[in-house]
Amino acid sequence: MRRRFGLTPTVLLLIGAVYSLLPVVWVLVAATKSRAELFSSNAFQPGTGLWDNLVELTDHRDGIFWRWTLNTALYAGVGALLSTMVSAISGYTLAKFRFPGRNLIFNLLIGGILVPSVVLAIPQYLLLAKVGLADTYWSVLLPGILHPYSIYLARVYAGAAIPDSMIEAARIDGAGEFRLLNRIALPMMVPGLVTIFLFQFVAIWNNFLLPFIMLADDRKFPLTVGLYTWLATGANQPALYTLVITGALISIIPLIALFLTMQRYWRTDLTSGAVKG
Amino acid sequence: MPHGLPRRSALGLLLGAAGAAALGGVAACSSDDDKTTATPEETGPVELVYWTWAPNMDKIAEVWNKANPNIKVTISNQGGGNESAAKFLTAAKAGNAPDIMQAEYQMLPSFVAAEAVADIKSLVSGAKSAFSDGLWGLVTLGTDAVYGLPQDSGPMGLFYRVDLLEKYGVAVPKTWDEYAAAARKVHAADKSVYFGGFSNKDGGWFAGLSQQAGGQWWSIAGDTWKVGINDAATTKVAEFWGGLVKDGVVDTQAWWSNEWNAAFTNGKLLTWCSAVWAPGVLSSNVPSTKGKWAMAPLPQWTAGESFSGFWGGSAASISASSKHKSAAAKFLTWLNTDPAAVDLLVKQAQVYPAASAGQSSLTTPPEYFSNQASFWKDAAAISSGARGFTFGPNVNAAYTAYEDSFGKAIQAKSSFTDALTSVQQATIADMTKAGFKVAS
Amino acid sequence: MPYLFLAPAMALFVAFFAVPIGYTLYLGTRGTKVSGLGLGKGSRREVSVGFDNYQATLTDHEFWAGWLRVLGYGVVVLTVMLGLAVLFALLLDSAHARLKRVSRIAIFLPYAVPGVVASLLWGFLYLPSLSPIHAVLHWFGLQANLFDPDVVMFSMANIAVWGGTGFNMLVLYTHLRSISPEYYEAARLDGASEFQIATRIKLPMLVPSLILTTVFSIIATSQVFTEPMTLRPISNTISSTWSPLMMVFTQAFKNLDLYSAAATSIVIAAISLVLSFGFLRVVRKRAFSEES
Repeated sequence: MRRRFGLTPTVLLLIGAVYSLLPVVWVLVAATKSRAELFSSNAFQPGTGLWDNLVELTDHRDGIFWRWTLNTALYAGVGALLSTMVSAISGYTLAKFRFPGRNLIFNLLIGGILVPSVVLAIPQYLLLAKVGLADTYWSVLLPGILHPYSIYLARVYAGAAIPDSMIEAARIDGAGEFRLLNRIALPMMVPGLVTIFLFQFVAIWNNFLLPFIMLADDRKFPLTVGLYTWLATGANQPALYTLVITGALISIIPLIALFLTMQRYWRTDLTSGAVKG
Repeated sequence: MPHGLPRRSALGLLLGAAGAAALGGVAACSSDDDKTTATPEETGPVELVYWTWAPNMDKIAEVWNKANPNIKVTISNQGGGNESAAKFLTAAKAGNAPDIMQAEYQMLPSFVAAEAVADIKSLVSGAKSAFSDGLWGLVTLGTDAVYGLPQDSGPMGLFYRVDLLEKYGVAVPKTWDEYAAAARKVHAADKSVYFGGFSNKDGGWFAGLSQQAGGQWWSIAGDTWKVGINDAATTKVAEFWGGLVKDGVVDTQAWWSNEWNAAFTNGKLLTWCSAVWAPGVLSSNVPSTKGKWAMAPLPQWTAGESFSGFWGGSAASISASSKHKSAAAKFLTWLNTDPAAVDLLVKQAQVYPAASAGQSSLTTPPEYFSNQASFWKDAAAISSGARGFTFGPNVNAAYTAYEDSFGKAIQAKSSFTDALTSVQQATIADMTKAGFKVAS
Repeated sequence: MPYLFLAPAMALFVAFFAVPIGYTLYLGTRGTKVSGLGLGKGSRREVSVGFDNYQATLTDHEFWAGWLRVLGYGVVVLTVMLGLAVLFALLLDSAHARLKRVSRIAIFLPYAVPGVVASLLWGFLYLPSLSPIHAVLHWFGLQANLFDPDVVMFSMANIAVWGGTGFNMLVLYTHLRSISPEYYEAARLDGASEFQIATRIKLPMLVPSLILTTVFSIIATSQVFTEPMTLRPISNTISSTWSPLMMVFTQAFKNLDLYSAAATSIVIAAISLVLSFGFLRVVRKRAFSEES
């Protein structure tokens, strides 16, 4: 059967693509504008200030912006790694073991999705302050490790990717549980774990409220909180618009790069286990 | 520990001896644990943390640190506004507060009520004479304690586009009646242009206009608070603006928005009732109209008077939990009264200083207003007519209620008097809920 | 052994979910008591107020009005976002569309943009004087104020749709890819058009994935917060208590009343729980058929 070129579906897809890219294109253009151009020229007319904006961004408070970038990379990288590890072990255990309390534990962990982060942030802060961990890197890393959604995904992946027969065979061969986990279960879950890692990376990268409440020292801020402090200067202080826009552009570049390089590994099929099972 | 966990709660047990030794990672705010507990050492090297949103404060601290190696001040830049006040209170509740906090004047009573800031009367005994009585009252709250030193202030004036007023043939209004007439005239001449604007986005602005009219939103009688947000003076102000909004002759879009900046840029907004810090905002948001603006006193309710109000401005306070109060007080005294430091505040942090000497030493007008050579002299004149005001312990709640009710009234073009009444009721309800005694 | 493997997750759960929620419950039963003006030392004490705060939340007209607004907003967001996600997923999977790779990446991209930044971008794009949206409307001879009370909800919904469509599209698309092509071959031989295959065969097969994405979207929209928070400063029509979660934020961060905020958050969490559990029951029957 000959592949025809379908005009309607292609056009529809393109409309979707344009709609999705529009704001990103806008921020690209806006970052090239000087302060004067920002409010006076057409939205999609490039300006002349990109280099000046970058210089100003780097000079502002001795380059604190780049420090924020590094912080964010640290929070997102380390946090997503730890989170993926915990989710993988938990998901595998919940999928492949039968033990009393399994469903209760699973439901408890999943119930976490239902609690808005705004609700948790303040008590988490007060409790971390009690043990002297508030305003440390830990205060942002630790609360983000347990992620209900990731555990849910990990459980689905483990259920779908690891045949029970393989586990049985390994056990008969006398492999210990840890060895089984390390040598058989985790390697088989890798494609799914990459997805979980990416999800978590994006979630932590985009998190605002938790670090905002936890951190007092602006040298520990991630990008979102840093940009916010530039936008919400005191009422009688000018907002640093051009810096915020240039900063916003730079803050999404790494994520876009990550997406483009990792998109081959995305496995978002949440129900494959169910479909096959 | 009046706040926080009771020592024996089930929670404490769960956490395994709450408040046990930190498991690595020490909070920055208490990075130097003093061995002494009762009277901390003040001679040795101490490190102070200062939360502020004033720009370039780190450069000013650098100057201090060079001259005073024993008292090192570290700046932590926070965003301004309500959220940072809440953040400070949460930190104070958790025992994590910085040594010094920039506090907007209207937030001080809330901080004092939460026992988050210290009374530093004995530590800054010589400072009182450096400030006008009106500003000093804002840090004493009318009690005999001192809860901080005034840092910057915001007496209000009318900022107008010199060229455009000429173009539309209106004079700078001396009274609010003239202001209203100008608003009608300009809008009739061009439907897309407004003489001025009314915003529901900033309760502090409306409070300033109410101060000018002689309003007193909070007052103290014995040991009870009295709330008078809908007093006669404020009602007069609300009705004035309500009439203009109803007739559609003033702009009602949200302030601080990009659209608003664009309106100034494109000459669609001719004036702005603001405060002396306006040059900083205009130069960052509307850079293209530099040199086209001038500042005049606010229009008056009665011709010949010269009253003004305050909008914005902040004090610097020392937190109740700071271990180095006297070192912090030394720094604060220097920052807000020493001529060299005040000069830095003006030039680097771009604020209108609270110190009287600082105000009178200003000569060169802001670059943006280079066409108004007498800018600072005019500012001092305006400042001297600014009326005093007592802020209550829940200004935030009142401002939030103002934003909500007046937002609704603008949208529906309904009565501003009713909107004001609902602000009054919401404020009293909030105070009562927080356990304050409010005279009805 | 399974308990050992689950220990890290459970420890984190207790430390960062259970204890904070317990603490929030406790804070919700507290309040302040003032002696005198509340300005001197020790003039304000924290006392137990029983269930007053909870009662105040439950009887607050504004709180329920917020839920109603969020319900309306949620219906708009869910239908548009999931409708578009299904449409794009089917298009990506169709035989005749071109430029699929580029479109897929482009539509997925907004997911990578932080909510704070996304709202900032749209805030700029909604400017009448700069906005391409207004230009398009103008072209059709329409005038719109995107912050008009009747329109502002759609302005907010648009931000959520923009941010969420790509993700849901990818979930559904991956599902479609996992379906064996054999299913369609027979239909093709019978002369069915691509459109018929998409609507009659693929769509019913997507149902399990759709239910799941719906549940997660319901949870997300019931917690709507970022969009109204960031649009509020530029619109006169979004009140400080527009959505239930904004009410918590206002109580905690504006009115500095931690106790009421704690009580309100517990009530919200309980309502979310009830809402979602109904759905989760349905979903688990489908997704984990091996358990039931």
